[in-house]
Amino acid sequence: MTASIFALLIGVGMGFFIQRVKASSPAMIARNLRLENLSVIKFMALTIAVGSVATYLIAQFAPGAMHFDIKPAYVVGVLVGGLVFGVGFGLGGYCPGTCVVGIGEGRRDAWAAILGGVFGALVFTLVYTVAIAPLVKLVDLGKLTLPEVLHLPSLGVAIAMGVAFMVVLKLLPTEVKKA
Amino acid sequence: MTTPAITADAPARALQREATPPWLMYGVLFGLLGALSIVLWGPIGVSGTYPRFIGALFRVFDPAYAEANPYLVKMGSLFKPETFLVVGLLIGGLIGARANREKAPKCEYTRAGETNERKRYRDAFIGGFLIVFGARIAGGCTSGHIISGMTQLSISGFIFAAGVFATGILTAKTLRAPRAGVPA
Repeated sequence: MTASIFALLIGVGMGFFIQRVKASSPAMIARNLRLENLSVIKFMALTIAVGSVATYLIAQFAPGAMHFDIKPAYVVGVLVGGLVFGVGFGLGGYCPGTCVVGIGEGRRDAWAAILGGVFGALVFTLVYTVAIAPLVKLVDLGKLTLPEVLHLPSLGVAIAMGVAFMVVLKLLPTEVKKA
Repeated sequence: MTTPAITADAPARALQREATPPWLMYGVLFGLLGALSIVLWGPIGVSGTYPRFIGALFRVFDPAYAEANPYLVKMGSLFKPETFLVVGLLIGGLIGARANREKAPKCEYTRAGETNERKRYRDAFIGGFLIVFGARIAGGCTSGHIISGMTQLSISGFIFAAGVFATGILTAKTLRAPRAGVPA
């Protein structure tokens, strides 16, 4: 119950931020994926950089308080899923969360995206046993993290990634000139 | 040749330096909120709510199938914090649009020069289908794999992000050119 209230409040914050940076605008997503404007990509990279350092900094002092949930790296399924996702992302300009934000904003095409998503989930559920389950678990590396691969402390890796992201963010323009 | 370009750009650059760009401010806030979420209840994730919604429907209309389908059993009940997160997204989007007295366009185009509303709804529907289907193959979407995954430095997040941007960029760039024979 408490977790659900926290989740609701965090969702409100996320939805607000996503709306403010226009990540729920399909036209803005299309511009970002065409690399004409990098504001949403920068927003995501900065979120990850700040979030990662903050998370592992807190974990350093209060390891018992963390609710980590690392997803298994079943390489083939995760990659294939990402490739399929990317086509839908480029075509529709929404992701499963931003279309919900879009509905809150009053976007009508967001309803079409969410209907497509519900239909996609239905078809996925129906074909899961036959088509998905045998395929996706190929090359399953398990719940693996970058610090485990590198044999380095998590906070150090988070800081290194954060700094690297911020350097790239600083160097790249936000509004790229059209070719 | 280059001088006019520089002078034309200079005011824009000066302006950018003065005002904090939204991606910078909200990126920092979103990152802190993501870390807070991991402390309070768990990493954010959206796409799992879609099949859990399907599961809830089956439990009403065909409970036997809901119990027989291993995926629906695996995903479990809709009464999870993640569902409340999704409800929060809706409210946050509404507040964000209202706070700035913004009226979001009812329909936006991802193809350059396109104005056909019906085709846009078709694209949004197919896009919606593929993002959820793809996310469920991978076990997460932009929030669960890219934001939460990379925040936790999980290998799966990096793999998913690479896949998404590879075809995402390719698809968006391909759609950029108006197709031959189709008036813009």
